[in-house]
This record gives sequence, structure tokens and C-alpha cells, in this order.
Amino acid sequence: MGTLSGRNIVKKYGKDTVLKNVNIDIEEGKIYGLIGRNGAGKTTLLSILTAQNPATEGTVTLDGEPVWENADALSHICYSREINQVTIFGPNTLKVKEYLATARAFYANWDEEYAKELIEKFGIDTKKKISKLSKGMLSAVTIIVALASKADITIMDEPVAGLDVVAREQFYKLVIEEYANTGRTFIISTHIIEEAASLFEKVIIIDDGEIKYEDNTEDLLSRAYRVSGEVDAVNKAVEGFKIYHPESIGRNKVVTVLAEEPVDSFGNEVQVEPVPLQSLFYAMCVDEREGA
Amino acid sequence: MLDNLGEDKSIYLQIGEMIEDEILRDILHEEEQVPSTTELSKFYKINPATAAKGINLLVDKGILYKRRGIGMFVQKGAKEKIMEERRKSFMETFVKKIITEAKLIGVSRSELKKMIDSVE
Repeated sequence: MGTLSGRNIVKKYGKDTVLKNVNIDIEEGKIYGLIGRNGAGKTTLLSILTAQNPATEGTVTLDGEPVWENADALSHICYSREINQVTIFGPNTLKVKEYLATARAFYANWDEEYAKELIEKFGIDTKKKISKLSKGMLSAVTIIVALASKADITIMDEPVAGLDVVAREQFYKLVIEEYANTGRTFIISTHIIEEAASLFEKVIIIDDGEIKYEDNTEDLLSRAYRVSGEVDAVNKAVEGFKIYHPESIGRNKVVTVLAEEPVDSFGNEVQVEPVPLQSLFYAMCVDEREGA
Repeated sequence: MLDNLGEDKSIYLQIGEMIEDEILRDILHEEEQVPSTTELSKFYKINPATAAKGINLLVDKGILYKRRGIGMFVQKGAKEKIMEERRKSFMETFVKKIITEAKLIGVSRSELKKMIDSVE
């Protein structure tokens, strides 16, 4: 199984350009975190990468072969989407076990034993109708499908959105276990950044239809600093660096620095702290919106 | 082992330090096997690549060594090596910080010395 690549992807809905010339390479055997604000283009990107939605421009390839209408390539990719509780015909009266049976038929490497284990773990009553499930249960069903699909590339869109803290921790543990055992590729989009950050070998930051960042998570964080102190001292210390989201309080100033390389010292006049992923993401995205 | 990893330092560095601490506290003995990358990644819910980076850091420092097909073990003399290294950074990381804070709050040198002597 090779690299899943998107080249020059543009997606327009009418006058709206949702994705602006996105280039992305999903390498084999890594866990990717996809983070972005609501409406940043995460779901659109994922649905295009998995050929569930055509791109307006650009191509998606797996190991060099286009994925569009390519059943062979798509059999290696699982995109476990959010499940609709309401269909155009009214409430979704499909039972969980019927939904899982569809997934079983669809994914070539489906692992029924594993699925049963996960159903037990999340305490899902498979006789229940989809329309009667709680938000947490719905999320759990999408997670079960994603993990039990055993697809080489498994994509989960907001898998933890409806889960409580216990179930979220359970989920992170399951992903790590499955990854450690199989080395499958995972792409996980999430809003709850900080608690998942340590799972991600690579992080993709998308904002306003563009990829702002795609990098090894540790490398990215090793170059990010929160520099604070007296205004003039801070200005001097961060001169020449790429800075985000400067904030002042009284004669104090705080900035987020993203350097090209790790920095040994910003001098003795300022305080320097590491920046957690969520804060870095916030600093990078908030400026864009405020036009700073 | 720590319950949780903090945010004030790279995770791989924390993994390395945690193993070092366990060696210093005699929880992990020399020539004893340390938890595997997989075990660490499952326990802390961190990417195995990050856990491996922490382990490899200690291999590079000569604190751990690999037995092929079995796993990672604590090198003979590891404890002494860690103590030596930590002693070197003790001045920078602890002593200078205490002095700075003492100056800031007006604790004199002699008062500080008394305080140190009074602590068991």
C-alpha cells in the first residue's frame, strides 16, 4: 500500500471555494491528525480523498493510481462517516446490526470478531434502531466500523465528537493498540486537539480551505515558543521570527513564535515556554480571522 | 510510572526522564528490561514513534541498550551516569532558580543557607 496523494485539489460549491489548491500526501503507516475550525474544509477534504465527493479540480491517487471509481484502490480505504439519524424518508429505522452488516459486506478485510469485541466494549445494543441511538452511541458505531474495517487507510471524521471523557480515553487507547498491532494508517479529524495531540505522528492544520501546516507533530512543537516579558524586550527577542497572535497587557507582551529551527535561547530578558498544539493552532488561526 | 504526561516539555523527553527517574529510584535495576515502545505508547496513549524517540534518546546516551529480539535493557553503570549528568545540570536548573527567587523576595544569602540547613 502506497501514499494517498491529493494534487491541486480545488472544490467549489457554487460561488463558494471550499478548498483552494490543496496538496497533501498521506504516507503509509502513520497516524495523522487533521485539525481545523468548523467550515475550514476538513470533511470536504476527507470526502474527496476517499472519492465520495468529486473534486472540482485536481486529482487523488493511491500509489500513483487515481482513486475515482477505482474499486480496487477504494477497497483499501475506509471512511467512516457520521451516520444520519434522519433520512429523506423519515427517521433512520435501520438497526445497528443491519448497519454493521452493510459495512461487513463493503470492507474486504472486515474483522467480525474484532467488531463483536468493540460492540461489547462500547456497550452497544445492536438491536436498537439508528434513529434511537444517543449521540455517544452513534459515534461509537462509526468507530466500530472504522476499526473493524481493517482497511489499510482508515479515516475518521470527528470520531470523538459525541463521546464522554471515559469513552474518548477508551477510543484513544483502542487506536493506539490497533496501530501498534497492525501499523495501519489513520487520519483522525478532531476539535478536541490537546487530548489527542500525542496520538498524532503528523498533524495537518487546515484553515479557510488551505493547508496551513503539515508536519511531524513533535518537530512542529519543538519549534514553537510562547515568549513573554516587557514589550521592548519581547520585540527585540523575537525580531526576525515568524510570530503569531501578539497580545499585550500593560507593559507586558506575549507572542507565539514559530521558528524554522529549534531556538537555543531568546536571551535572558524574556520568559520562554513551550506551546501545546491547541494553543499553537489557536494562535495560527485567530490572526487570520482578525486580519492581524 | 507517572499517571500523566505534562505539557511543559516534549513528550519524548518526558518518556526519557521518566525512565531515568525510575533508574535513580531503583525501581528499574541495571540489566533489567524496560517497558517496550508498544507498552509505553499504550499506557500513555502516545504515538509509538514518540515513545521510540524517547527510548532511543537513552540508547544514544548509553543508559539503555538493545538485546536483539528481546527488548531494551538498563545498561550497567546507567544509574551513575544519570546521577553525573543530573549533577551537572543541578546548578542551572535548581540552584540558580532558588537564588533568583530569593533575591526577588528579599531572602538574604545567610537566611537561605539557614533554610537549606534546616531541611532534612
